[in-house]
Order: sequence, then C-alpha cells, then structure tokens
Amino acid sequence: MSPSSLRARLLRPVFVLVPLTWVLALTATYQQTRHEIAEIFDTEQALFARQLLAVGASLDGDAAAPPPLDALLANGDGGDYENDALGFVVRDRDGRVLLADGEGHAFPPAAGRVGFADERVGDARWRLFFLASLDGRHAVAVGQPQSFRDEVLWEVLASQSLPWLLALPLLLAGIAFAVRRGLAPLAGLADELGRRRPDDSGPLTSAVPDEARPLTDALESLFVRVADTLARERRFTADAAHELRTPLAALRVQAEVAGLADDAETRARALGQLMVGIDRATRLTEQLLALSRLDPLEGLPRDAPLDWGAIVRDARDAVEPQRVECGARIDVEPGAAGPVAHGDAVLMTLLLRNLLDNALRYGCGGRDGGRVTLSVAPDAVTVRDDGPGVAGEHMQRLGERFFRPPGQRAGGSGLGLSIAQRVARLHGLKLVLANRPDGGFEARLARCDTLPHSRATAEALH
Amino acid sequence: MRILLVEDDPLIGDGLQVGLGQLGFTVDWLAGGRAALTAPASAPYDAAVLDLGLPSVDGLDVLGVWRRAGHALPVLILTARDAVDDRVRGLDAGADDYLVKPFALAEVAARLRALIRRRHGEARPCYHHGELEFDPPARVATLAGAPLELTARELALLELLLSHKGRVLPRRLIEEKLYGWDRDVESNAVEVHVHHLRKKLGASFIRTVRGVGYTLGEPA
Repeated sequence: MSPSSLRARLLRPVFVLVPLTWVLALTATYQQTRHEIAEIFDTEQALFARQLLAVGASLDGDAAAPPPLDALLANGDGGDYENDALGFVVRDRDGRVLLADGEGHAFPPAAGRVGFADERVGDARWRLFFLASLDGRHAVAVGQPQSFRDEVLWEVLASQSLPWLLALPLLLAGIAFAVRRGLAPLAGLADELGRRRPDDSGPLTSAVPDEARPLTDALESLFVRVADTLARERRFTADAAHELRTPLAALRVQAEVAGLADDAETRARALGQLMVGIDRATRLTEQLLALSRLDPLEGLPRDAPLDWGAIVRDARDAVEPQRVECGARIDVEPGAAGPVAHGDAVLMTLLLRNLLDNALRYGCGGRDGGRVTLSVAPDAVTVRDDGPGVAGEHMQRLGERFFRPPGQRAGGSGLGLSIAQRVARLHGLKLVLANRPDGGFEARLARCDTLPHSRATAEALH
Repeated sequence: MRILLVEDDPLIGDGLQVGLGQLGFTVDWLAGGRAALTAPASAPYDAAVLDLGLPSVDGLDVLGVWRRAGHALPVLILTARDAVDDRVRGLDAGADDYLVKPFALAEVAARLRALIRRRHGEARPCYHHGELEFDPPARVATLAGAPLELTARELALLELLLSHKGRVLPRRLIEEKLYGWDRDVESNAVEVHVHHLRKKLGASFIRTVRGVGYTLGEPA
C-alpha cells in the first residue's frame, strides 16, 4: 500500500486509534476498579473491627483463637475463599494480646491510634485499621495484606480485558475487510479507466459510490473533450493529406504535358505551369506548418511592443509578387497604433499577409481593377477589397480549415483565414468577416470587447 | 473524341485540357459553377471528366443534375478522397468510373477511351476496317501492316468514323466532335480532312451521303 492510497489513509488511523482507545479505557478501568475494591475491603475491615470491639468486651485474659478455617470447614463448601486474607488482634489497655488471628500478633501496638494506615508488617505491605473502645479498655487492629488486594484488582482487570484482547485483532481484521470492500468500486473504476480507449467518449459503466460521482462526472466531460480533440486532429490530418493530393495531381499532370509536348511552346508553357504548381504546393505546406505550430500554443511565443508601421510594410512586401501579377493596387491608410500595443510581430505580420493575400486572390479584377485598402487604427485593422464578396451561404464556413468557396479559380490553401483567426485569438483580438454594403469584402481585426454584437462573425470553432 | 472537363483547380484543368488534347481528345474545360449544369446539352460530348473537389461536394450535385436531365454520357470522376464511402457515393450518383488524385494523364485517357468504347458496345481496344487497323491509345493507323502518316485531326476523324460504323455522321456533328469551343473552324475544314483521308486510304473509304454527311465506305 502506497502512502497516498486511500486504504492506507483510512486504515492507519484506525489501527492506531483502536488500540490506543483500548489502552486508555483499560487505564480508566484500572483506576475505577482499584477505587471500588479499596472501598469494599475498607468497609469490610472497619465493620469487622467494630464487631471485634463488641466481642473484645467479653474477653478477659488469654482466649484461644479458633482453629484454622480449613479445619473447621472439614468437608463443608468453602466457596472461593482465600486463607490469610485478613488478620486481626485485640489488645487490652496494657497492650496484652487478648485475641489474635493470622498475622495479628505481628501488628504494631495500637497505642491510641484510630483509623486506616498502610504499614509494613514483616516483609509485606499491609492495610491496617485501628479502633479503640470508648472506655479505652480494648484496642482492635484489623489488617489485610496489600498483595491480596492487588491480586483481586488484577484478577478483576484480567477478567475484563482478556475478552477484549482476543476481540481486538478480530475487530481490526473486520475493519480492514470493510474498508477494502468499501473501496472496491474505486478499484473497479481504475480497472475500467485502464482498459478504456483514448477516443471513447461514452459514460463510465462501473458502479461508483455517490462520493465519487463528482469525480466521474468530471472525468466523463473530460473524455468528451479529449475525444473531440482527437477526432478534430484526425480529421485535420486526413484533410491535410487529401489536400496535398490536389497540388500533387496538378504537378503530375503538368509534368506529363511537358513530357508529351512535341513543340517548344507547349513545353515551356507546361513547365511554367509546373512552377506555379510547385509554388502553390510550397505555400500549402508552409500554411500547414504554420498552423501546426500555432495550434498547440497557449499564449504568444513573444510579447513585445508592436511596430505597426513595420508590420504593415513586411506584410505588403510579402504579397508584392502577387500584387504585381494581378495588377492590383494596395492603398495603406497608416496609423501609429493598432488595436493592440503588444504582441508577436512575426505572427501579426503573418496574419496581415494572409488577409492581404486573400484580398488580392479573391478581390483581383474588381470594379476598380483590383484595389485593396489596408487601414490601421486604434480600434481596428481592416483589409477591404472591391471583389465580388462571398456568397451568403458560404459566409458561415469561412475560416473552416480547407474550406474554399466552391467554383472559384483562385488556388488558395483554404488555411489562410484559419491561421489569421488563430493569431488574432492569441492576441485577444477577433476577426470579423463580412461583405461590404457597397460591394467587396472586408476583414476587420478588432479587440474582442469593442465589437458590436450584431455584426456577423465567422469565427471558426477550431 | 470530344470531352467535357469540369475542374475548378486551374492547374489540373489546364493540364488535362492540354494533355488530353495531346492524346487525341478535344477538351472543353469549365471551372464549375452554373454553366456546368447545362454543359452536356451544349455539344455532342463523348464523355465527361468531373472533379468532385474538396471540401464542397459541388461535383456530385452537378452529376445529379446531369443524370436527372437525362444526359447519359459516360462520366469519369476525379477525387482527392479515396475512402470507399466517397467512391461509392460518386458511383451511386451516376458516375461510370473514378480516379483518385494524383492520377496519370495516360490513365485518364485510357479510362476515357474504355468508357467511350463500352458506350458504343465495342469490346476490342483496336478498330479494324478491311485492311485498316487503328490503335487509339497509340494514335497509330496501319493499312495492310504499313503505317500511315496522319495528322492529329485526321486521326480524330478516322476514330470518329470507325466508332460509328454503319451510321451517317452529319458534317456539323463531325465539326463539333473535332473542335472545341475556343477554336475558329474554317467552314470547309471537315471537307479538307475527308479529302486528305481519301487520298491516303482510297477514295471509297469514306462515302458521302449527299445532304446529310459522311459514313464509312466499303472496306478496300
């Protein structure tokens, strides 16, 4: 049994307390019994002495003590009597012994003494009682050896404690058995937990005592959360593997086209497409890596003052090749401060880059020939495009991993908004996605507490 | 062989269009959307290649609409998902075959040829007509064992005639089978190809049915 075992915690005090209580009770019994025995024998001695005084009045000179009780009893029933339990002496005014029995001869002279005294007579300790007649003619002493009284005391104690002494181990064994039985449901629970599969979200089937209910309730809700996380992880891995197949298929088909081409122009074009495909596969891999690094984070890896000017510049530089290719314009409305003053500049740049990337990808060729506006203000950072926006039925799914509105030709990874939302949350910010009333799409990055609740939010659950 | 390709991925769509073109198909490529729903009615397609896409199941919806509208053309599905469930759903929705990404271009072509062949009730992969033998996958035609020098367009016309043995093909249909949407077709293009084929195979190889079109003539 380990020291932290519940059984040990229950049994240890019981095994200490029960014998201790028993010893204390025995001590109290000893005191009480001794007192009672002294009372009984003292009373007996006093009454006997008084009776002897009455007898002593009729005594003159030497009276013979009666023969020993054994001789007198002959074959009569003596009960459990003990010889030598009592001695006495009756003396006259001059100290002459008128009558004595047992060790009575050896008792010290009374000499006017009255009452009880503990004294040595010969080698033994005696309890003596002295009494004198009112006219002073007779003095009586009745004594009892202390050893006799002790013997009686120990016999009483032994007769009381022996059954207890035999019952104690039985009691302790019984308690140990009861504790083990009482804890059996916990052992059953532990056994079930040990055999449980990690993705099992069902309730526990072991019968558990009411005291353990809060524990099992908490466990069951944990199981559901763990199973959810596992299922999400599995789905993500499966989705990621499938997502990689599309860029691979594109690479393969373009490579085959290049191999089949019998003119230089077709081959060059296919090789160009191959490069585009490689860039796209690279981007998807980068996004997957970014997400897998972001996912386990509980807080920001770095927390430093943010330079919004530098963040905007870096994010713009990152999407510059794409901007040139699509021929769009990026207008920046700079602000000295963004919605947060502290955070991780690398992640914040990644977030803005993804928003700009989306705006260029989907907003390209909008009404004004592709115009993206990025504005930084203390209440929010917004990225707007003048593209066709997102159809209402797809709005809710934006930010879902690998989701791309169907039927569009822009080859995004479907992870950009997931990453942006994750980074936003790590900064205590919220990403609100909406179609603009005057056309186009707007991504708005603002503090969670300053957002009006009526706005449509498309926050992914994972 | 005119193929309808519905594929929302720009690189795969482009690759299949060019690649299948190199392998003797005429490919019309749609990126999906509403146009795909009515596309089979717009031209006499021999087969369709349909991408199911991820994660939307737009492709299956498109297929459902086609089948409900009574379009019986063979459909080859391209999918990124290889779970049995996904394949079963595709086949149950009316697809004739499927390929899991990433696929080989040659396999797409081979499966399309097999689908089209079966549609015409033909089991043999090669066409025979008299002393002429045509091997569609290899794009090789031989006359009495001697290889013929034919252009891609002439091969396509030959394949069309061989796969519709005993039927008269209207000139307009031949034109539509040989050319996709995005090419300008000379008004006498079909006549020119017929003329060239007759020169190489013999005048009686293709018979003109006046006012209707062309059909395969008696074997030489």
